[in-house]
Amino acid sequence: MSLTRRDFLKYSAVAAAGASSVPIFKSAMAMGKKPEKVVSHVTTFCEMCFWNCGAIAKVENGKVVKLEGNPANAASKGKLCARGNAGMGSLYDPDRLKHPMLNTGKRGEPKWKKVSWDEALGFTAEKLKSIKEKYGPEAVALISHGSGGSFWKYILNAYGSPNYTAPSFAQCRGPRDIGYLLTFGDGPGSPEQIDLANSKFIVLIGSHLGENVHNSQVQEFVEGIAKGAKLVVVDPRFSTAAGKATWWLPIKPGTDMALLLSWINIILQEDLYDKEYINKYAMGLKGLKEEVKNYTPEWASKETEIPADLIVETAREMSRYKPRVLIHPGRHSSWYGDDTQRSRAMAILSALMGSWGREGGYYFPTKASLSLVYPGIPDMPEPQKHKLSGDWPYAIEATTTAMRRATITGNPYPVKGWIANGCNVMKTLPNQKETIEAIKNLDLMVVVDILPFEHTEWADVILPECTYLERYDDIKVSKGKTLSVTIRQPAVNPMYESKPSWWITRELGIKLGLEAYYPWSDIEDYLKKQLEPKGIRLETLKEKGTISFPDTANPFIAPGNEPVFNTDSKKIELYSKALKEKGFDPVPKYKRPEAPSNGYFRLIYGRSPLHTFSRTTNNQWLWELYKENEAWVSAKRAKAMGLKNGEYVVLVNQDGVKSNKIKLKATERIREDCVFIVHGFGNNSKDLKKAYKKGADDQGLITRYAVDPLMGGTGMRVNFVKIVKEA
Amino acid sequence: MKEISVIGANAITYPHLDIWNWTIAVYLFLGGMVAGLMVLGAISQFRSKPLTGEGVSPASCYLSPVLAPILLSIGMFFIFLDLTRKLNSFWFYLNFNPMSPMSWGAWGVGAIIPVSVLWALASIPEQYRHYLKWPKLQDFSFKLSAYRNKLAVANFALGIFLGIYTGVLLSGFVARPLWNSALLPILFLNGGLSTGAALLVLIARDPKEKLFFTKADIALITSEIVVIILFFYGQLTSTAPHVDAIAPFFTTGYYFPFWIAVFTLGIGLPLALVLDVMEVAGFAKIRVHLSAWFVLIGGLVIRLALVYVGQLSSLSDIVHR
Amino acid sequence: MPRYGMVIDQSRCIGCMACVVACKKENDVPDEHYRTRVVELVEGTFPKLRMELRPELCNHCSNAPCVYNCPTGASYKREDGIVMVNKKKCVGCKACIAACPYDARFVDPRTGAAHKCTLCEHRIKEGKEPACVTTCLSKARIFGDFGDPQSTVSKIKADKHIRVLIAEAGTKPFVFYLNPEPLA
Ligand SMILES: Nc1nc2c(c(=O)[nH]1)N[C@H]1C(S)=C(S)[C@@H](COP(=O)(O)OP(=O)(O)OC[C@H]3O[C@@H](n4cnc5c(=O)[nH]c(N)nc54)[C@H](O)[C@@H]3O)O[C@H]1N2
Ligand SMILES: Nc1nc2c(c(=O)[nH]1)N[C@H]1C(S)=C(S)[C@@H](COP(=O)(O)OP(=O)(O)OC[C@H]3O[C@@H](n4cnc5c(=O)[nH]c(N)nc54)[C@H](O)[C@@H]3O)O[C@H]1N2
Ligand code: SF4
Ligand code: SF4
Ligand code: SF4
Ligand code: SF4
Ligand code: SF4
Ligand SMILES: [Mo]
Repeated sequence: MSLTRRDFLKYSAVAAAGASSVPIFKSAMAMGKKPEKVVSHVTTFCEMCFWNCGAIAKVENGKVVKLEGNPANAASKGKLCARGNAGMGSLYDPDRLKHPMLNTGKRGEPKWKKVSWDEALGFTAEKLKSIKEKYGPEAVALISHGSGGSFWKYILNAYGSPNYTAPSFAQCRGPRDIGYLLTFGDGPGSPEQIDLANSKFIVLIGSHLGENVHNSQVQEFVEGIAKGAKLVVVDPRFSTAAGKATWWLPIKPGTDMALLLSWINIILQEDLYDKEYINKYAMGLKGLKEEVKNYTPEWASKETEIPADLIVETAREMSRYKPRVLIHPGRHSSWYGDDTQRSRAMAILSALMGSWGREGGYYFPTKASLSLVYPGIPDMPEPQKHKLSGDWPYAIEATTTAMRRATITGNPYPVKGWIANGCNVMKTLPNQKETIEAIKNLDLMVVVDILPFEHTEWADVILPECTYLERYDDIKVSKGKTLSVTIRQPAVNPMYESKPSWWITRELGIKLGLEAYYPWSDIEDYLKKQLEPKGIRLETLKEKGTISFPDTANPFIAPGNEPVFNTDSKKIELYSKALKEKGFDPVPKYKRPEAPSNGYFRLIYGRSPLHTFSRTTNNQWLWELYKENEAWVSAKRAKAMGLKNGEYVVLVNQDGVKSNKIKLKATERIREDCVFIVHGFGNNSKDLKKAYKKGADDQGLITRYAVDPLMGGTGMRVNFVKIVKEA
Repeated sequence: MKEISVIGANAITYPHLDIWNWTIAVYLFLGGMVAGLMVLGAISQFRSKPLTGEGVSPASCYLSPVLAPILLSIGMFFIFLDLTRKLNSFWFYLNFNPMSPMSWGAWGVGAIIPVSVLWALASIPEQYRHYLKWPKLQDFSFKLSAYRNKLAVANFALGIFLGIYTGVLLSGFVARPLWNSALLPILFLNGGLSTGAALLVLIARDPKEKLFFTKADIALITSEIVVIILFFYGQLTSTAPHVDAIAPFFTTGYYFPFWIAVFTLGIGLPLALVLDVMEVAGFAKIRVHLSAWFVLIGGLVIRLALVYVGQLSSLSDIVHR
Repeated sequence: MPRYGMVIDQSRCIGCMACVVACKKENDVPDEHYRTRVVELVEGTFPKLRMELRPELCNHCSNAPCVYNCPTGASYKREDGIVMVNKKKCVGCKACIAACPYDARFVDPRTGAAHKCTLCEHRIKEGKEPACVTTCLSKARIFGDFGDPQSTVSKIKADKHIRVLIAEAGTKPFVFYLNPEPLA
């Protein structure tokens, strides 16, 4: 629509003026007339989740009043989701962390003292120095999620520690990335390199798109469906996506592998795979055939409780549309502990459909690249010890849980300092007891956050970051079908005494004697010197928000655009010798999950379109619409238990842990063997006036987790709960 | 059965309409009663000879005109209470919307009050005129008394209008199936007349007069029972939303108060009727006052019930009941 | 004269609720109040289930009961079809709220006046689409001018699966729903 484009140009013109100039009230005010509103539009990117959509903030008289998507940005395509639209809810949250604070009481029983930044950072620097002296720099670990994290990673490296962890690996997409890496030599990427909009057949294994809202992905998903793509949704729960599905397969939780292997078997038995593609690009077909031959639909039907004929029908239908078939790789994949192998099964199935590198399947991201570095930075010190990635051969990152273990046991070396930035460790990591045990073992716990979520209770020092609408961050470089850069700049000045991470880390760095790593005078200088050698003017970027580079993107296999597979064999590995050598299954095998005992349900969880994990639960405009989560229970079982829809109950897990009270949602939309709740609720921090004690915390009930032997992912759907009437 | 969930619902419309409370019911009740006073007061005046000299006119002939504007003003006060922008009330009189019952009501009541005040002045018996403090007013009252019958005619007509209007106010809403019935105005007019009659039974002193209104009430209660039955029958034989609309009246549990309302009416009105008939038939010394109270309470209950239950009713498929 | 309105393609709506929040922020809607909502209906028994997602807002009815029931003229209909409230004339009698079959109105607790969707007329004036439309992830909400037979909305309106909500109320809505399979 030409209209929006023109409008956007109008926007950007004002944005340029607005962002760099201080609003000056018209003299009309002095004349006693209604003061005219001073309006500006400032480009930025959203931090309400990590899709980081390009956004434009409308600022009226120094207040952010509206957020909209930036049409120039591929993640948003001019649109924001519910959370993105509510971004100023974080900015104007009255419960925000307002000042740096030191805990003068015991750890976990805090007595807070407001201190100056100088004092807070002085304290932190002293502690960090002493830990380095006593234990070495690797004894400090970072757990971080979100944009400011790059500055923290930087200071950690300069300090000498390799232990940068993020929940996005072991608690999120690590298993799937490794599963795909082992198969194609590359992960599915983030954003996922999937051509949903042009797909003819989409398979969602869990992935609850629509509730899981990664903006552009949801847009493309709907586009695909609207263009007539057939949709299979495999989910024990009738998700929103299932509501759009051609086939909903209400699978018995934890048995997806059986379904996948059986699909693979049918496709191989009936010769339905993309022969030309497999012959050309894949290896190990024979081994695969051999390994899966016993996984018949009848067998799978018993395991999954999906009718055998439906398994056969969907396998055949899917093959009809190859290669325009998209087995969605999923994202949050740390489910049952065998997750890398499940992801590998999905990758193998995708290969059989010939959809890697094909339209309507997976595309190849642009080969163009851009690395932004500030000139003249001295080399980072070489870490003296290996990062904390456990004993898992495919833990390519330091992992949260290995770090937590090391903190408790001192193995392979002691960890004495944690910096938690934008990461609520109480809600993020399974088994809260273990997390608390680890934190109690620390010499220093630093929390960098914007809101007093429960993990702040465990801090020695709280460093209040300003929200994304008040700060600069590193330039976001995105690689999709094109390469693009997106800027984050403050729409308004930081409120209270909050500060951006770039400032906090620089001040801390100087206090740590790392000034050599911080030669820039201010953030604009820092950004300019990185951008200008690449021919990007900061001013232009500030105005446009996102700049994309036209390149020779070649997303699909074509003559002259042959795929490269970075596996050992340089081919798609249907059968993995590498895995075999390491003592793992070369082809995924099915292992029956433990069944809930009498009276118990398997606890499963997911997203609400109105919230991001726990971080939005106190946001006025999201809280209003979804104040507390509900426990989804099959209507039939609820009735048998004499429970009514809407009444409050308590969930008690296999280890006797009780949840907060939670509303029962008695529904036809879920299997009888599981209970579903939206992740992130049941906050224990009294300082969050809206979120406090609203709903139940899934993480509190996840006292057990299954560890993925390949990469250390934490399978979190292995807990069972019973439902108790509220006392 | 459907599972319904709504994100972004407003508390005053979901799970059902929740905008009007007892103040509206009291307004409708008083409005109806005043309509009854106006109509029956006028009839009463036509029946008695124009007053001159010493004769004492029946109480209804002057109490009806006097009470009408007072009770109506009290009613108006209650509806005024309900307005959320009271200071803007003058806008009622800067606009007339012929399609809006509320507008008719504002203008109608605006006209009724002065006309009924004039009527009251005209109807004040000579021996009570001195209660009017100012001699000028007494003069005026004397002069007006000549027009007493003409004013009675006007008040009779306006009374009918008022009685019907209290029903049309609700029945005009296509959105609310319980209210959206052509019988509702009839029901309200009828109910208004019977409560008016009941009030007159209570305040009349002369036994003959009491007997007259008791007889009137027999007719009115009888027709009211018939209209109520027809009203429910009409709903029951209409579309699904109308059928659903009356369900709360016949459900126990959460809607128990409405069930009670029906029960009260079901017992109260016939009982009132029987008592009246017994009185007229000359049975012993049954006090008709009891019957009159039944009618008054019934009149209030029926309006309360209709105001509340009407708001539970809806054409939309997302309203829970 | 334009005749503004909307078509809602229900098969596209994915229940992301972006519209609800966008509307709220665009129009400074009071806390805990909304000009638009999304209704989710599920029918059937496990595992045979069907879902309908239905975004709802003021229908900007041609025969608008809220307008003809307003005693003061505060509720009015513009020539371009947009139904508005002039808060200066509103007395807060709530007749319009009772009159609207779509429950599209409420009382703004800050002013006491009736409040409703304005079809973002202030944005239309600037040549933009309503906020809920602009942000709709699925492009389920389509805004346009029904007065122009060439407009997208006019063309979609001709689809045989087009319906309006509560047609029996006779309000002649100008929000049309495209849904080949509404739940019974
Ligand atoms: N609104 C919103 N969107 C988000 C986020 C958010 O916080 N809020 N977070 C983002 C992030 S970081 C991630 S990683 C993604 C996560 O989102 P996804 O990757 O979609 O997460 P999943 O765990 O795959 O999906 C949860 C679904 O899996 C179903 N499920 C549970 N157990 C099983 C099972 O055994 N088998 C199968 N087949 N299904 C099962 C649940 O019923 C639920 O519908 O969402 C992203 N999008
Ligand atoms: N039980 C269970 N566990 C899970 C998941 C699950 O679904 N269920 N999901 C897993 C997945 S997929 C992921 S990706 C992780 C997510 O894990 P996290 O990203 O750690 O999730 P949150 O709980 O939202 O914690 C975020 C914290 O960041 C803070 N924050 C928000 N914005 C800013 C900012 O701008 N600056 C700073 N400094 N802080 C900020 C918030 O106030 C909050 O305290 O959780 C994983 N863990
Ligand atoms: S998907 Fe939504 S919350 Fe995430 S970055 Fe985009 S707009 Fe923000
Ligand atoms: S939907 Fe309701 S508020 Fe909107 S025009 Fe129609 S009757 Fe009026
Ligand atoms: S509440 Fe206001 S807008 Fe609605 S009918 Fe009454 S005066 Fe009109
Ligand atoms: S058109 Fe504007 S006011 Fe109406 S629902 Fe959409 S965003 Fe809200
Ligand atoms: S924004 Fe669009 S897709 Fe999302 S809920 Fe609203 S109408 Fe549906
Ligand atoms: Mo994640």
